[in-house]
Amino acid sequence: MTALCFVAVVVFGLFSFSKLPIDQLPDIESNTIMVFTYYNGANASDIENNVTRPLENTLNSCSYIKHVTSKSSENVSVITLEFEFGHRIEDLTNDVRDKLDMIVKSLPEDAQQPIIFKFDTNMMPIMMLSVQAGESQSALYKILDESVVNPLARIPGVGTVSVTGAPQREIYVYCDPAKLEAYSLTIESISALIGSENRSIPGGNIDVGNETFALRVDGEFRDPRDMSNLVVASIGGRNVYLTDVAQIVDRTQERAQESYNNGESGAMIIIQKQTGANTVEICDKVKEMIPQLEKNLPSDVKLGMINDGSEDILETVNSLAETIIYALIFVILVVYLFTGRWRATLVVSITIPLSLIASFIYLLITDGSLNIISLSCLTIAIGMVVDDTIVVLENITTHIERGSDPKMAAIYATNEVALSVMASTLTIFAVFFPLTMISGMTGILFKQLGGMMCVIIAISLIVSLTLTPMLCSRMLKLEKKGSRLHTILYSPIQKALDKLDVWYGRRIDHAVRHRKLVVFACLALFIASLFAAKGLKSEFFPSDEQSRISATIYLPMNTNVDRSRNLAHELSDLWMSRYGKDLKMCNFRVGAADDSNTFASMQTNGTHIISFTLSLVELEQRTIKSDDVVAQLRADLNARPEIERFMVTAGGGMSMGGQSTADFEIYGYDFEETDSIAANLMAYMKTLPGVGEAFVSREQYQPEYQVVFDREKLAQHGLNLSTAATFLRNRIYGATASYFREDGEEYYIKVRYAPEYRTELEDIENILLYGSGNNAVRVRDIGHLEESFTPPTIQRKDRQRVNTVSCVIAGGHALSEVVEAGQAYIDNMDMPDGVTVQISGDYEDQQESFSDMGVLALLIILLVFIVMAAQFESLTLPFIIMFSIPFALSGVLIALWLTGTSLNIMSILGAIMLIGIVVKNGIVLIDYTRLCRERGMSVITAAVNGAQRRLRPVLMTTLTTILGMVPMALSQGQGSAMWRPLGVSVIGGLTVSTVLTLVLVPVLYCIMQGFAIKKGRKKHRKNLELQAYWAENKSNIMHERVALKKQKHNQ
Amino acid sequence: MKSILITFDQAYSERIIEMLTHNNCRGFSMVEQLQGRGSKTGEPHYGSHAWPSLCSGIITVVDDDKVDAVLEELHQMDKATERLGLRAFVWNIEKTI
Repeated sequence: MTALCFVAVVVFGLFSFSKLPIDQLPDIESNTIMVFTYYNGANASDIENNVTRPLENTLNSCSYIKHVTSKSSENVSVITLEFEFGHRIEDLTNDVRDKLDMIVKSLPEDAQQPIIFKFDTNMMPIMMLSVQAGESQSALYKILDESVVNPLARIPGVGTVSVTGAPQREIYVYCDPAKLEAYSLTIESISALIGSENRSIPGGNIDVGNETFALRVDGEFRDPRDMSNLVVASIGGRNVYLTDVAQIVDRTQERAQESYNNGESGAMIIIQKQTGANTVEICDKVKEMIPQLEKNLPSDVKLGMINDGSEDILETVNSLAETIIYALIFVILVVYLFTGRWRATLVVSITIPLSLIASFIYLLITDGSLNIISLSCLTIAIGMVVDDTIVVLENITTHIERGSDPKMAAIYATNEVALSVMASTLTIFAVFFPLTMISGMTGILFKQLGGMMCVIIAISLIVSLTLTPMLCSRMLKLEKKGSRLHTILYSPIQKALDKLDVWYGRRIDHAVRHRKLVVFACLALFIASLFAAKGLKSEFFPSDEQSRISATIYLPMNTNVDRSRNLAHELSDLWMSRYGKDLKMCNFRVGAADDSNTFASMQTNGTHIISFTLSLVELEQRTIKSDDVVAQLRADLNARPEIERFMVTAGGGMSMGGQSTADFEIYGYDFEETDSIAANLMAYMKTLPGVGEAFVSREQYQPEYQVVFDREKLAQHGLNLSTAATFLRNRIYGATASYFREDGEEYYIKVRYAPEYRTELEDIENILLYGSGNNAVRVRDIGHLEESFTPPTIQRKDRQRVNTVSCVIAGGHALSEVVEAGQAYIDNMDMPDGVTVQISGDYEDQQESFSDMGVLALLIILLVFIVMAAQFESLTLPFIIMFSIPFALSGVLIALWLTGTSLNIMSILGAIMLIGIVVKNGIVLIDYTRLCRERGMSVITAAVNGAQRRLRPVLMTTLTTILGMVPMALSQGQGSAMWRPLGVSVIGGLTVSTVLTLVLVPVLYCIMQGFAIKKGRKKHRKNLELQAYWAENKSNIMHERVALKKQKHNQ
Repeated sequence: MKSILITFDQAYSERIIEMLTHNNCRGFSMVEQLQGRGSKTGEPHYGSHAWPSLCSGIITVVDDDKVDAVLEELHQMDKATERLGLRAFVWNIEKTI
């Protein structure tokens, strides 16, 4: 029956396992909402005053709001609302909408209705495909759109698929201004003509005899060349054809983002997933589909992989799975080593997979996934689930050795220890349950861990109280003598363990007789370890080895695309030759993207911006670290004076564990003041070794040419500003005349000046404008060109103007160093009135989470204390046990210091988990000591005897936990940087605290009991004195009493 | 008719009942949880934290000729596993209904 129940659990667990999605991290629900408000014609400061401010003031009252940031630039205000984590985005959106409804009426009349946009981390691209094409290059967009993009977009879970670097077809009518002038034609008239010629107009129905036919005038162009014969004018009775004044060119867009893979031109396909979809699943499906898609492509078009989001995830998960297997093996070995019985070892090892598999059911029910957190949780759990079973097993073995038959022994031995097993499990609950209640970013990560641990521990408790006795009754028997092989192999171990027992017994005997020495030595060690803490660096999340590096390079504003492209080629050649085999793919994009590209429009792009993506080969085959690559790239870019600024990031923002940044926010209204402070601060920060790069968030003034018209002159020629401006736009940007339709696709037909007539300022000055009555006038006659600068975007945060200096932390350095140095510099700065500096970014998150964790630790300690006090019905015993906690802390600090690991959220998590684990050791020890005392031993004998008898169980449970963590602390696989600090801190803390617990706890027990005995004696002495006094003076006192009574009576 | 009081570590219970059945002693009364300790070496059975194990007790009334056989088997049992603890006491039954 019991066995069948657990078989059912296993089957269900394995079923859940097969259904579980694989991901990097637990789902992080987005917490950001953006509000776009367009107000055409207003400049940045108008937008700030009339749109952004009123909106900010209202939106600031939304519940759970954390930060309000805004960007006011020409024509548009973008407000970003950042909410606390852990709230449903739908509810938040509704709240925002309500608030907007309240304020909308007081916005300027011409401002449009604000648009709400939910920003989502899921919108990050999960996959990038490269496309290489030969002769099909010019038609690449259409080919890709039809036979790659559409099929891919049909895969369930795929959000959008965008193509970059394959320009779309457009048909240009390039006009010669001189010829136009000669025939007094304009771009507008040609564009209107093309528009009216390229039409297909239904002409109604006619009845012919018994039948009805539709009538249609179809003048749509079948071929772009049809346009050349359009008559655009008749001069002197002779027709002027379109070819006479213009050239018709069927080509790709003039300006488009270009993409190069390994230096060769090609396109890039970017796949984004839908919110909540599973990355690995989608990537698998896409990969499955690619060979099929390639069949439908022309032979010269080849698809390749630039970046596969699932690769990192799978590698991470696989290396963690490996860790779990190692941990399992280690734990089983330890159990065998200490029990020396293979049957017992088998019973214990059955509990491990059972508890772990059962946790998959929990994951499936709570919509979890197999990710770093849930898998590290399994690794941690392996060492802990065996504890309960070991206790039960040990007691059953004792009973069997005493002579019970296994069945009876299983029943009664389990009953005996059931309560104390439950109590010690409760302490573990007390540690992990509060983890499910943390809020914020850390909460999302640890909720799953806490929940899973609780489930695993609960299952292991149930297993240890049901399945273990059942298995014991079947499998254990009184082993008189093991096999010969076993004796040969095991007897040295047995001897060593026995010797250890004796040695430890002596040491402890010595220790309890030199109590002061022991206590002071421990205290000294604790204080010394606190000094180690001084040398520790802190950061938020550990930064991890990454296989993708992205670099965004900004050349000076207005650099044209040819120069950017040349530089990009040089850089890519340099990097490709330098990294050679380590580099899988070097992709760069350059140029301004058009509006229809979803991916590109989310990023900054322009003719002066180059975006690089370098994919390195897998970690095992790589000869260089990603941090070093990043540092080298930065050095290369720094060496080029033409580069204005750049950003090199490892990980490319696709996952956590990328580099962290320290942001210094400079609040102040005056642009100049905050600009100069920012510039100063940035210059200083760049000199620090810990800062990889620094940049200022406020953009520079953008240079541009303005055509300034003289309104009077415009009026004289019957023009107004907007007609004049439209004329300009049509000539330079082009007028969309109509659409050319082919095979169900539409392409723009654009009429504009031929490229050679719009290369100089003079060309613009020479543009002819036609006013009313067809009188033509040149731009230079009614206006002039002026060089000017557009003001930057106004950024605000929490309703104040802000300028941010962001410093990316260089590899091998920690956030705290940089923040401290920056803070010191700021303190020495002369701050003008009204300017304040705040540190935010990862540092803010770090401080917040660290303080959260601090509160959590206190809560856990309190809970654990309560559980123990209830178990022992005493306040002193838990107090003694609690002394192992500070030493766990010093162990953590020493281990971190020795390994050069920084203090981050993972190592703190390790420290918190330790509270439960080390306390367990104390409980095992004290419980038995108390038992010895109750059996009538003296305090010191009980302490020594108890400690000696419990040495093995303590060592066994500790070693299972430590060895379970060793693979974690040593692993070098993908993503290991994330959990290595966790392993290191648990191992360090547990080792130090166990060694000290084994010595200090018996000593403290003796001291405390000594106090109790002294107190008892004092009380006893007082009692005795009182009795002696009574015996001596009994007759006197009685006499006095009688005398008093008589006196009263007489009165 | 004689009555036998058997007090023993709980772990014996099944074996003793089996033994009684085997010896054709059908009737008995049993107390499942008893506390106690032996006069000389017997470990206390208190069901407490310090002494977690417990005893059971059986009173069975058997024909005179069966007493020796039962006692002999109990003695064997006790000798096999002395650390558990098993004792039996016999006295006369004066009257029954």
